[in-house]
Amino acid sequence: MIWLTWRQFRAQAITAIAALAAFAILLAVTESHMSSLYAASGIAGCHGDTCAGLASQFLVHLTSGQTFPLLPGGSNEYVILYFLSVLVILIAPAIIGIFWGAPLIARELETGTCRLAWNQSITRTRWLTVKLVLIGVAAMAVTEAFSLLQTWWAAPIGKAVGLGGSASILTESRFGWFVFPTHGITPLGYAAFGFALGVTAGLLIRRPIPAMAVTLAIFAAVQFVTPLWVRPNLLPSSRTIATIEAAQANAVPTGHSTIAVTATAVPGQPGAWITSSGAVNAAGQQVSTIPAACQPAVPGASGPGGSPALGNCLASHGIRVAVSYQPASNYWPLQWAETGMFLVLALALAWYCFWRLNRRLS
Amino acid sequence: MTAVIETEGLGKRYRKLWALADCTLSIPAGHVVGLVGPNGAGKTTLINLATGELAPTTGTIEVLGGRPAAGPAQLARVGYLAQDAPVYAGLSVADHLRLGARLNPGWDAALARARVGQLDLNPRQKAGTLSGGQRAQLALTLATAKRPELLILDEPVASLDPLARREFLQDLMETVGEQQVSVVLSSHLISDLERVCDCLIVLVDSRVRVAGPVDELLATHHLLSGPRRDPASLPDGLEVISASHTDVQTTLLVRSSGPVLDPVWAVSEVGLEDLVLAYMKQTAGRGNRHRHLEVQK
Repeated sequence: MIWLTWRQFRAQAITAIAALAAFAILLAVTESHMSSLYAASGIAGCHGDTCAGLASQFLVHLTSGQTFPLLPGGSNEYVILYFLSVLVILIAPAIIGIFWGAPLIARELETGTCRLAWNQSITRTRWLTVKLVLIGVAAMAVTEAFSLLQTWWAAPIGKAVGLGGSASILTESRFGWFVFPTHGITPLGYAAFGFALGVTAGLLIRRPIPAMAVTLAIFAAVQFVTPLWVRPNLLPSSRTIATIEAAQANAVPTGHSTIAVTATAVPGQPGAWITSSGAVNAAGQQVSTIPAACQPAVPGASGPGGSPALGNCLASHGIRVAVSYQPASNYWPLQWAETGMFLVLALALAWYCFWRLNRRLS
Repeated sequence: MTAVIETEGLGKRYRKLWALADCTLSIPAGHVVGLVGPNGAGKTTLINLATGELAPTTGTIEVLGGRPAAGPAQLARVGYLAQDAPVYAGLSVADHLRLGARLNPGWDAALARARVGQLDLNPRQKAGTLSGGQRAQLALTLATAKRPELLILDEPVASLDPLARREFLQDLMETVGEQQVSVVLSSHLISDLERVCDCLIVLVDSRVRVAGPVDELLATHHLLSGPRRDPASLPDGLEVISASHTDVQTTLLVRSSGPVLDPVWAVSEVGLEDLVLAYMKQTAGRGNRHRHLEVQK
């Protein structure tokens, strides 16, 4: 059975290895310039407040101009490479679900070859076990390999952003929408889930093409929903109330007399992930209306105004910011929780496939 | 004597439609049994129940004394050639033999090689580029080289041209002769089965209409023709299967255990094809529902 699985999977495996090799070559070629810039930036030996400046300087250096004049319009290779490489890891589980998972059973059902396979001296359970284990492990290995390569390549960017540097669009912290699910161990969970989702869709729909479409739709929805509503609640978040200045909060008018205050930092918690924030009054109650005295500070209203002015005015009226956040130390617990959640989902889908495949036999 | 397939009140329902109903059969070992009936009569359903691809809605089915597809040992005892002879289009002929060798502990590699050589198949050729006849032969090779005790074939020749059909059936008979394997094969064409089967099961409208050894069926059915008269006035012991009338003449196909002695009738033998067609034309609900196929070996 291992031989048959490999024989049927060979072409896809070779495609995946070729893609991985191309990815590795692309990153290896561009890595040396970035690491030499990083070494020259002096970030390694920085102390205290100088770090953020040096980090920003490095990022600005990296993202301005063209190192390899290959791209049209003078686009910077590193910005594009960074996002392309993250995108590859982000969509790899979907691609695996679509091209490895969905046809796995659906194609056999569609062409009738399942009748050939299931009438050899081997049970369907064994048939599916070997396929799910071998290809599932391959899916996880390939996705994680993409992730590790990118992590190695982007290490200077990660360090610079971690020190508070930002330039161009390289500002995502490791809790970011695109960074968190593509680094650490989460790619393992996403790959297993994407694959199992494709297999299940194929078994239920029985035709590869519609199964592929359904896999893509569900996986995209999951990837969208997870950072918004799932990840912030995987672990209990911490809460604190800080001044507008300490939280580096932006105050933005949202209507005639309403405001939205969003914190961008948690005092004393560098690298924390802010899951939600909002204005509170001196008593700690949520507020959304602008005190009358601050109306002139609203941008566009009469007289000089602007966001900083509005923020200062709000602060002087006792308005502070309540922040819910995950401390930086929760990064790995969150990684484990999210990976574990997707692995459990993948196992549940696999179990359902076994049950469904054998139900007709009972 | 063991039965290769034994069913008791077997039925399979899809939502409200019965694909097979109330089927009680006992197919003895050592025969080539033809399963014949019009399209949609339930042949494939019966075969899918026997291979374990479907679970029965009612009743029981035992294949070689065990539950169909119950485990590797049970699977090893039954060879199955599914309708349209599915093969992996992307795998070569040699790959298919390797597949068979890897997945079947009782694989007869010499037999498989000999068959492929005899059929003039190029081992390197992709199965997807084989002709329909070659594909059926390759699938039959896989089904026979696992050395089953029972070989089940679902419409093996339906998609083949007349020449390939003849070759396939001839080849099947040679294999059966060499291997002492019991065979159940289905077809909607009686002419295919006539050449190879020694037992027949006629399925019409999801029910078994008649079953028995071919020579026994032929010996107990007679074609009577005589002046026009009411079939109801026939003596006891004669069961009218079909009747046709002209203004002056009546022709009856009857089933009778003894010879028909009434001098009014001119008695002639009936061909297998006419016999089966008469049963197929019979309206549903008539005739005995339970037919036991009992053959002395």
